[in-house]
Amino acid sequence: MTRRLALWLGVAVVALSALVYASVDEGAPRTDADRAYAIAKTIGCPVCNGQSVAESNASAARNIRVSIAKWIDEGRSEDFIRAELRSLFGDDVDYTPSGDGVTSLVWILPVVFGAGALAGLVIVFRRWKSEALLDASDADRALVEAAREARDDG
Amino acid sequence: MSSAAVGAVIIALGAAASLTGIGVIVLGLLGRRPGWWRETRGLVWAMLAMSTLAIVWMERALITRDFTIRFVADHGSSQTSSIFNVATLWSALEGSILLWAFVLTGYVAAVVVKFRDKRDDPMMQWVMLTLFVVCAFFFLLMVGPSNPFQSFDPPVGYDGPGPNPLLQSHILMAFHPPILYLGYVGFTVPFAFAIGALVTGRVGEGWLLATRRWTVIAWGFLTLGIVLGAWWSYETLGWGGYWAWDPVENASFLPWLTGTAFIHSVMVQERRGMLRVWNLSLVVATFALTILGTFITRAGVLESVHAFSESSIGPALLGFFTLIVVVSLGLIAWRGDQLRSPGRIDSPISREGAFLANNVLFAAFAFVVLLGPIFPLIVEALNDDRISVGNPYFERMTMPIGFTLLFLMAVAPVLPWRKASPGVLAERLIWPAWMGAGAMVLSVLVGARGWAPTLAFGLGGFAGGAALRQVVLATRRQGWRGLVGRTNGGMIVHVGVVMIAVAFAASNAYVRQDTFLLAPGQTASFAGHELTFEGTDFRQYPNRSERRVAIDIDGEQVYEPGIALYPFAGQRIGIPSVRSTLFDDVALSVDSFPVDDDGNETGQVVLRVTVQPLIVWLWIGGLVMALGTLLAVVPGRRRNPTAPVSAPLPGAEPPATAEPVKELV
Repeated sequence: MTRRLALWLGVAVVALSALVYASVDEGAPRTDADRAYAIAKTIGCPVCNGQSVAESNASAARNIRVSIAKWIDEGRSEDFIRAELRSLFGDDVDYTPSGDGVTSLVWILPVVFGAGALAGLVIVFRRWKSEALLDASDADRALVEAAREARDDG
Repeated sequence: MSSAAVGAVIIALGAAASLTGIGVIVLGLLGRRPGWWRETRGLVWAMLAMSTLAIVWMERALITRDFTIRFVADHGSSQTSSIFNVATLWSALEGSILLWAFVLTGYVAAVVVKFRDKRDDPMMQWVMLTLFVVCAFFFLLMVGPSNPFQSFDPPVGYDGPGPNPLLQSHILMAFHPPILYLGYVGFTVPFAFAIGALVTGRVGEGWLLATRRWTVIAWGFLTLGIVLGAWWSYETLGWGGYWAWDPVENASFLPWLTGTAFIHSVMVQERRGMLRVWNLSLVVATFALTILGTFITRAGVLESVHAFSESSIGPALLGFFTLIVVVSLGLIAWRGDQLRSPGRIDSPISREGAFLANNVLFAAFAFVVLLGPIFPLIVEALNDDRISVGNPYFERMTMPIGFTLLFLMAVAPVLPWRKASPGVLAERLIWPAWMGAGAMVLSVLVGARGWAPTLAFGLGGFAGGAALRQVVLATRRQGWRGLVGRTNGGMIVHVGVVMIAVAFAASNAYVRQDTFLLAPGQTASFAGHELTFEGTDFRQYPNRSERRVAIDIDGEQVYEPGIALYPFAGQRIGIPSVRSTLFDDVALSVDSFPVDDDGNETGQVVLRVTVQPLIVWLWIGGLVMALGTLLAVVPGRRRNPTAPVSAPLPGAEPPATAEPVKELV
């Protein structure tokens, strides 16, 4: 085994071990406040212009924060809390667009765009590969030769 | 003559200068007065003089509280402190358009000075025409729908409300908008050259070489402006956030994305003569997006905390945006044949292959950032449903793009042009890879968990390692010159990007927030910090009253968040207080002062505490990016872009030397 291969194997093992450990080990448990904050960041404040409940200082936002904390305290699920807030204030308080109907397009379109761009690149590279290399003609070579001479003279 | 009338005359003269410029150049193009257009220089100086005078006149009015000008009456106040008095100019629509025009005429004057030797070049004729048209548009906006010098008849003893209190609570507000505008407006110059190149058919690399430094400078200002905006929002809004994927933030981010893509792909054109249509499209898109962003901010089409009140300039901006897109696309289609690339990319595993991938990723990124804010409008138009597309969407969609970009940032700088062998890559990337692995191990050791942030730290270390490797090699070879020039400065920018990416990943993944009800003397423990409420303080200022609480953090220093009341504006805003260290930030903000059943205050405070790791590296990263940009515009060791540096064609003699053929250029 060459030294370089050993170094690359080493780096792969170290990186993968760190990644697996960080994914499997849960670390400190999430508190109720952490869960409430995570939800509040994704709920829009109904009376503010484009601010989330976590960001806004409006009293409506503060009240929703209190409600979220209360629901979590009661052991309600995140889905329940979202559904409850949607029914109270309308679908647009939920910052996460649903995956249903027309709305699902917001998730699908970027993937289609990315896949299309990737396919385009693959096609272009294939075409480039199949094209024959251009050969320099005698006229081209003469041009280069003249340039070199001009440089050497200079 | 009233102050407002003087201002209006100044603006009208500026508009007249720009329209005369257009007329003179058009006459020249029609062959009537061919020599005249060269003298348009004087008109440029006239435009600059008028926009400068207008700024000075408005600042004079703001500082002396000349309420006979409506803008001052609406947004000025005798109670505003002097620094924010000056900054009031860009706190509202009309003043911000005035600032835009001022920066624009400054750039146009710089173009005239820089290209003074090229006055006989026909391409410059078209460049100047484009610049005059853009200037005329902004001057006419100020003559019409966005007139900053409307008159007002103030009643006796009148005093204005002053700018929005949020905009006068932090010094960064004095810098963020002007720097952002220097970025936005700077993209007008490469756009004008692109139009000039298209019209004259000189679509080779000349115009790119002429404007690449302008593009990098504009990009640097835009970067700094965006980072300062994030910093401002972090310091003043009090929710521990700095980027909310708000439509206006997205609007500033879009030209940054296309501009970044351009800065990279332009190198492929310089080196290989390829991607001409793509590069022209990126230049046009970047400029058009700055106008679209202005439309989004100013026309009130989207809900945003940043949006100015609804105004009547929306249709004008939308019309101008459409004009730019239609004219540019028409020109590109017209020149289609000449724009066909003469070359090809030999292998996807090459520097140019990496730049292509970079561009696809940036285009996808821009697509997501554009789609998010406009999608709710489309859905509402289609089936009358109201939906929101917010941060969970953007974070989920941009995360894989961000990861891939970090990976590319690690690999691309070490890739040779044309073709790379696996052996070369393995050799050049091994130490950056170890830095990535080391970053992952370190993050796990300090307690970080979760696959996404750990992967981000690993890729950050990998990309940072690759950038540092390039800087070390260059400085070893060239001494201090290894730090300047586009490639080397670009590597410093990469280091700044890595800092921001790592800080972004860490702060997003490990942010913690909670609220505490504290009585004087009580201590709360949160995320490894001890917070003691020491007492309340009441302060009276000319334009506001403040109620501050003293909070001792970890027994080291007292911080004083509070709530300010601006009676004139009728607004109550929070005054956050942040303790920053290189490791983490503790941001404090006051939610409320509770009252008992009788409505009397209990003396307690509801304190919101946000603890986030590595936040300060966002700002350091931004400054490093700005520094890198500065180093990139310092001329480094020039490599002749047409010099033979690539692999020889089969059958051809290898070049005698790889030195550039200087005499040929």
